[in-house]
Amino acid sequence: MTSEGSTGKYPEYRKRLGPGWWLSNPRYTTYMIRELTSFFVSIYAIIYIYQLSLLAMGNFSSYDIFVRNPATIVFSIIALFFTLYHAFTWFYLIGRIQPIKLGRNKSTTPLQALAINLVLLLVISYAVVYLFILR
Amino acid sequence: MGKAKREYKADKIHALLWGIFSVGGFIAAFLLPILIYINNIAYPLGLWPVANSSLIKIVFMVSLLSALFIFVTIGGSLFHGIFRFKTTLPELGLRRASSIISAVGYIIITVGLIALAYYLFHLYQQFDPSLFHRII
Repeated sequence: MTSEGSTGKYPEYRKRLGPGWWLSNPRYTTYMIRELTSFFVSIYAIIYIYQLSLLAMGNFSSYDIFVRNPATIVFSIIALFFTLYHAFTWFYLIGRIQPIKLGRNKSTTPLQALAINLVLLLVISYAVVYLFILR
Repeated sequence: MGKAKREYKADKIHALLWGIFSVGGFIAAFLLPILIYINNIAYPLGLWPVANSSLIKIVFMVSLLSALFIFVTIGGSLFHGIFRFKTTLPELGLRRASSIISAVGYIIITVGLIALAYYLFHLYQQFDPSLFHRII
């Protein structure tokens, strides 16, 4: 244990952690997996911008080959899984941080918030499909 | 500028960045899954709802609204993802490199947002929305 850095008036006392600290407890592991979903979200966003660049340059066949590449499809399925994991945990956290008041003494539980937001996710997803694809 | 004023300004920027991060979290949770599914799973595998759709619809270039949807979804997700990842890396033992990681993160976000806006603008100008009966 060491004290690291002092940002204010008083020295900050922090336990020095190794890179694998999050593997020692299932709760820490869940937390780290949740944080690492951001890796897939970021990489997908960068890949999407690359796809747009192919289209903007008029390389429609390159775009098609890239999108239909099995590696791209497999990565996209993994990215979708982690994005949904992010969505589930985000909705649950929102329920903990900001519960909605139901009457005078009642407020939503994290599970209720999760359920409400999942329904909202389905509605929004269908609205996107209807507005931009089916209509 | 006094020290207190500088600290106040830095705190304001800090709060603003975390605010954008939070909005990006909602965007990535509500809008990104359907975009991944349509563009990179349903289209190459020929699944519903894009099995018989034209490419122009699949890449969301049918209207100004759809181009804005892409900008908000990809831009918000990029900001949220990189911001969160750059905050996570120091927790994985890279604390000493946290300022470099932060700088690289902000560079990726800035370049990514500029590239996204440029390509969307370019694509939107190439396509004629009136052909697809989309009036905003």
